[in-house]
Amino acid sequence: MAIPAQARSRRFRLLWILPAAVLLLAVAVLLARFVRELPAVQDFMTQYPGESELPPESPVGLPAWLGWQHFLSAFFILLIIRTGWQIRTEKRPAAFYTRNNRGLIRTKGAPHRISLTLWLHLSLDALWVLNGVVFIVLVFVSGHWVRLVPLHWDIFPNAVSVGIQYLSLQWPTENGWVNYNALQLLTYFITVFIAAPLAILTGIRMSPAWPTGRTRLSAAYPVELARRIHFPVMLWFVLFTVTHVTLVFATGALRNLNHMYAGRDDASWWGFGIFAASLLVMIAAWFLARPLFLRPIAALSGTVSR
Amino acid sequence: MKIIVLVKQVPDTWGERTLDSASGRIDRSNGDQVFDESGERALEVALRHREASGADIVAMTMGPPSAAEVLRKALAMGADSAVHVLDDALAGSDLSSTSAALAAAIKLEGFDLVIAGNESTDGRGGMIPAMVAEHLGVAHATFLNSTVIDATTVRGERGTESGTLEVHAGLPAVISVTERSPEARFPGFKGIMGAKKKPLVQRSLAELAPLDGGAKSVVLSVVRRPARSAGLIVTDDGTAAKQLADFLVTNRLA
Repeated sequence: MAIPAQARSRRFRLLWILPAAVLLLAVAVLLARFVRELPAVQDFMTQYPGESELPPESPVGLPAWLGWQHFLSAFFILLIIRTGWQIRTEKRPAAFYTRNNRGLIRTKGAPHRISLTLWLHLSLDALWVLNGVVFIVLVFVSGHWVRLVPLHWDIFPNAVSVGIQYLSLQWPTENGWVNYNALQLLTYFITVFIAAPLAILTGIRMSPAWPTGRTRLSAAYPVELARRIHFPVMLWFVLFTVTHVTLVFATGALRNLNHMYAGRDDASWWGFGIFAASLLVMIAAWFLARPLFLRPIAALSGTVSR
Repeated sequence: MKIIVLVKQVPDTWGERTLDSASGRIDRSNGDQVFDESGERALEVALRHREASGADIVAMTMGPPSAAEVLRKALAMGADSAVHVLDDALAGSDLSSTSAALAAAIKLEGFDLVIAGNESTDGRGGMIPAMVAEHLGVAHATFLNSTVIDATTVRGERGTESGTLEVHAGLPAVISVTERSPEARFPGFKGIMGAKKKPLVQRSLAELAPLDGGAKSVVLSVVRRPARSAGLIVTDDGTAAKQLADFLVTNRLA
């Protein structure tokens, strides 16, 4: 069978990209190992061991509500990314949805007719944002925010130090119950306080909720710009999730899962059990999120048509 | 009341549809095969009547084995039973033999009302309902934009090229409905599960005797529609009016 020229060149590119990536990684690891042994770097790493000191009286441990928040966030983002991808790729939606403008949400203008996929994406967005708002409120009210926001400039040298430790394959000791390492903290901060708001702001621009009638506002913030940002933000979430899950499992899985889901700091199987159950829920939702089951739910607040 | 709904499996209008050049028949091998939309609306009319006054709804089709999928969907949407007129000798049937076979199957089943779509998206003949009525010897009211059914009559607005007519007929009768009829419902999960238990019977030509069956007309040749040629763009350099007039005259449009 003839392979199209474009696919052939892509396959050919893979032929050298893959070994090049492996080579680059090997070089980076060797370099980090070499750099690490330099006396100056040794001094630097003693001074900046990898975590920024928390203010006194910072809360210790992770509360139980975080487990819920974390599960819901993961649950929604999984389906949001999936439906977002479907919206980009689907050529012929299985059904369309028009809000009936009678229930909880009422607008002056007539509701737009949108694909069932977009309806699901927007509904999940709303739930994800609601979950996020609850999280932000709880994290600030409980004082846990100090663990999530960089408070000193030394977070950056500490992050560099952690980076060297990871790259040299001598990973920093996990201390997530008390304090995240600097790189971890920065990543969480970017995800919660930069990526998530960016996803929301760019999503609103593309959604039917945007007031397209406000021409000057729309011109100042073109939809193309929103689209160009929305997609890389999705890639950030994917990259973050892959790295996050990998590190959770590679740095004392049982203890980490207990931190995340069971609100306890030991190596029992509780956290793992809850995580496993949450995984089942996500898999079930993934397979049930099809027109046959979505139509009756969508029909509660609008008209589903072909 | 017993209502028979005529349904049909057609190639999806979404993709490119082709004729098999050897047999002159529809090429069913590529693209999706779906429930013809006007047939879905016919079923919707029957289902709404059943919800209002009760009825026994039989979905009926004639077609290759794959057409059973459409009957399954009709059962999932709410039809009570289904009849599949299936016989190799019927392959390639034209309007005349199709209507004869369907009428024979309808007679076998017994009916008060037959509802069909006005025309399928593949053949677009629009003649089957009237021909079936002729075979059955009952009145027909075709191309109905709206339908009202009661115990003894069926009435509605019939769309024609020059306007609309209010028509009615005593039962038993045959009607066909247009795309102005209400949009068909989606089959629900319960419907799909329940459809598996509903009866779907097959009728062969032998059961429909004394039909001789088979196509009465033969397709001699199939020609692909020529590609559309580019239109003529007239730019106004002072002679546009004359160019337009010439165009209309040479194309006998004036």
